[in-house]
Amino acid sequence: MDSIDIGLWVTGGLLLMVVLGMRVAFAAGLAGLVGLVWIFWAKFGYAPDKLGKAVTVSVKIAGQVPHSKVSSQALSLIPTFILIGYLAYYAGLTKALFEAAKRWIAWVPGGLAVSTVFATAGFAAVSGASVATSAVFARIAIPEMLAIGYNKRFAAGVVAAAGTLASLIPPSAILVIYAIIVEQDVGKLLLAGFIPGAFSAVVYVLLIVGIAVIFKNVGPPVTGFTWRQRFESLPGALPIVFVIVIIICFVYNPFGGDAWGTPTEGGALGAFVVFLMALYHGMRWSELKNALLETAKLTVMIFTIIWGVLIYVRFLGFADLPGAFADWITSLTMSPMLILVCILLAYAVLGMFMDAIGMLLLTLPVVYPAVMALNGGEAVTAADSAFGMSGTMCAIWFGILVVKMAEFCLITPPIGLNCFVVAGVRPDLSVQDVFRGVMPFFIADGITIALLVAFPSIVLYLPRLAQ
Amino acid sequence: VEWNVSLWGKRRAFTEHVEKLAELVSEKTGGEFTLNISYGGLSKNKENLDGISIGAFEMAQFCAGYHRDKNRAITVLELPFLGVSNLDEEVAVSQAVYSHPAVQEEMAQWSARLLMPSPMPQYNIVGTGEPRDQLAEFDGMRVRATGGIGQAFSAVGGVPTSVTATEAYNAMESGVVDTVAFAQHAHLAYGTINRADWWTANLNPGTVNCPVVVNIDAYEALSPEHREALDSSVDGAVGHYLENYGKLLDKWDSVLTEKNVTKVELAEGELDAFRKVAADPIREKWIADMSAQGLPAQDLYELVMATLKQQRGN
Amino acid sequence: MAGQASVLEDQSLLSRFDRWLLSLEQALALLSGLAVFSLMVLAVVSVGGRNTANMPLPGYVDWIEQVMPLVAFMGISYVQRDGSHIRMDIVVGRLHGRALWFVEMLTVLLVLVLMVALVWGSWAHFQRSFDFSAPLWSRDSSIDIGIPIWPAKLLAPVAFSVLCVRLVLQVWGYGRAFVLGLANPVAVPLIQDTVAQAAAEAEQLEGQE
Ligand code: NA
Ligand code: NA
Repeated sequence: MDSIDIGLWVTGGLLLMVVLGMRVAFAAGLAGLVGLVWIFWAKFGYAPDKLGKAVTVSVKIAGQVPHSKVSSQALSLIPTFILIGYLAYYAGLTKALFEAAKRWIAWVPGGLAVSTVFATAGFAAVSGASVATSAVFARIAIPEMLAIGYNKRFAAGVVAAAGTLASLIPPSAILVIYAIIVEQDVGKLLLAGFIPGAFSAVVYVLLIVGIAVIFKNVGPPVTGFTWRQRFESLPGALPIVFVIVIIICFVYNPFGGDAWGTPTEGGALGAFVVFLMALYHGMRWSELKNALLETAKLTVMIFTIIWGVLIYVRFLGFADLPGAFADWITSLTMSPMLILVCILLAYAVLGMFMDAIGMLLLTLPVVYPAVMALNGGEAVTAADSAFGMSGTMCAIWFGILVVKMAEFCLITPPIGLNCFVVAGVRPDLSVQDVFRGVMPFFIADGITIALLVAFPSIVLYLPRLAQ
Repeated sequence: VEWNVSLWGKRRAFTEHVEKLAELVSEKTGGEFTLNISYGGLSKNKENLDGISIGAFEMAQFCAGYHRDKNRAITVLELPFLGVSNLDEEVAVSQAVYSHPAVQEEMAQWSARLLMPSPMPQYNIVGTGEPRDQLAEFDGMRVRATGGIGQAFSAVGGVPTSVTATEAYNAMESGVVDTVAFAQHAHLAYGTINRADWWTANLNPGTVNCPVVVNIDAYEALSPEHREALDSSVDGAVGHYLENYGKLLDKWDSVLTEKNVTKVELAEGELDAFRKVAADPIREKWIADMSAQGLPAQDLYELVMATLKQQRGN
Repeated sequence: MAGQASVLEDQSLLSRFDRWLLSLEQALALLSGLAVFSLMVLAVVSVGGRNTANMPLPGYVDWIEQVMPLVAFMGISYVQRDGSHIRMDIVVGRLHGRALWFVEMLTVLLVLVLMVALVWGSWAHFQRSFDFSAPLWSRDSSIDIGIPIWPAKLLAPVAFSVLCVRLVLQVWGYGRAFVLGLANPVAVPLIQDTVAQAAAEAEQLEGQE
């Protein structure tokens, strides 16, 4: 049996364990460990007296991975981004944002829903995680929408969909994870998420306005705020602007001249600003302790998946499966663009059943080299490439597409975490209600993804500027 | 027989000797003995020596500066201002040190046998703004330099600053560092040359040492013909590396012109002053520390000097 | 999907072990949280030092790499205790009674096998970096300022050992439920249906605002 077969058998075993309900991180780690033993024993010719040696070598290889992989400066962005989100609750940023958005823009058709999207997009600039974002806005925005006669399914759908913006608009834990798996510049990827995130928000807004104009029952505009009231709402939302400016300027300085530091520093300083805000807002040790414990919990969950899956990936490296898959993809006679669309569709199907981070970690080690090979390799120039962009730019573009797909999966049935959370916050809403309410946004996301595929410059404009 | 080889990054000038070695060995044995090269799939670069010691793969490349405590003896080759001026000299001093019994003994603790060096040119710095060609101008300079080279700069008031190689470009762009010390191929690969206004042509502060090693058990398990094929291919592989890197160095001057980068030459007096405050104390401290740990440090240093002298005598 | 669940308690020996271990797990998780906080402080010190006194924190990257294992590992058992490690519970969620306890016990046993192996492997990884006869006991040091790495490497086998103890308790708990055919066993995370679980998550946020 050659190593490709071993790779396929072990992958099958991994899927079985995942379906059986074994925690994804450990299932991946165990599959990787067993796979390594198999590969090494095969190398020793399956001699019975060599099994012990195969186990020893494999255990030692697997035992390196946790420390080796988590002690990375780039990964330190993830806990910081998560901490920002938790501190932001205590700083009162969410309420302030929604209030400001309401006073300034709720006069358009579907006004409160539009305000919700904008406020969520603003909160996305300090929050690195989609699910947390939806949970917060479900409590702030849905009651207000229902109070003025919104369809409750629609109101829930708006919040579930808008929460997904948090993973495109920087900071974003999932973009950092992508950057690490594919070994690309974290700063450029974060930067690249900015326009597609804003673009998604605009598509959501246009959809809402369209629906509000056609179906009058969606929700009336909210008018009557004075200019004085509008300006009074701004100071509360100001820290968000601070954080955005800090993070962006530490990655790339749009005002001309040098950036201010590295993304790692930017993330940490952003957290510090929000921390000071929260202190000012009345946070004390017991709340801070709570925030730290919650941050630790989410961080450990993510890191356990990271090293667990990377043990499996180390096994794939020894089995050379990624290389074989890349060879197979490039040998296909379909057009590269068609193959890319098929890959994205496969992600849509997989994402219906899987968690976003787990999905990316499991698939990218195999899919990413294949997509890069499809474009013509890492070092290809734009002129010689299949998608008309250099290797680095293709890595960034594909990253944004994949993350957008992963976000889309947060709102698709049967497993759409954002919808579950919104339904959880609102006892009067069933999960089915939320899935029904979020359906119009499938169209918006479909349009967004199609446009990002057709016009890569939407993604690549900022990274190219920063070069 | 198939050997797994753990490298990292992408195929580049720095890995050409391993690629050539694989080609030669396979040729000589009619495909019976092959080297299966993996770029990062088998291990992280800082753990290649661990992988060799475990027996995870049979051949690997690593750099001494990544983990000085793992390989104290060969760090003699990373002392600042050794006076190595070209790649041929770097090969000669590396091979001399690699054959020293104390060095081999330390590597044997990792089940590793030193096969060949990956000679690197001197880590001259690129910087932005006005060229720094006086020692006084290094005062307060934030420089991305690790190990002995970093220590050398701090001896003249420089501020060694931690950034990873991949963040070096960002760090330079953002003013986190003023200057970056790299070999030429890395200045090209990590794009630091694109931010540079000047490059020091004759500072020659030192370099890093990155050997290619093989697992001792695997090496000893080879049949005599296969071992002969491997050993006899080393010279050809290193020769190919030198030729290839030489081309890159020839291209270097045209890159400087094209990017409008000034070539900075420091006056001999300035260099002497630098060596005096940086090279001598750091070397003396290294010898004292390593001797205290039972390594023949003085011996190793003198071996380097003697080899250099001999190489120049030829 | 996330699989957060509740853990029941009573006066049995198993439950007392569970609570005793929980207090250790909570302390370790808080250590993780404080480590995240220290990442923020490190950056502020480094950026501040650089811009005010031209004194960036020496070895900033090295220090981050030392802190990360603290962030990543110390809470692992705390998260396992209430079943928060991510999993797919489409299938498990449909099971009841003995079938459920059997599958849970089986998967936890498999996790235990993995973690025992990883305690061994990560201990070996630590041992290669540790040498009693060397200065600072160090046989592996960081790239920039040369600090010993063995303390950071030691964190993995330590945290994984605590997790192994937790897994043994859970095997005991599920095994007991399977043998006795219990409806609501103690000391193991019980699946809530997804909606109740989301409500619990949301409640947690509520407390924080
Ligand atoms: Na975000
Ligand atoms: Na889904």
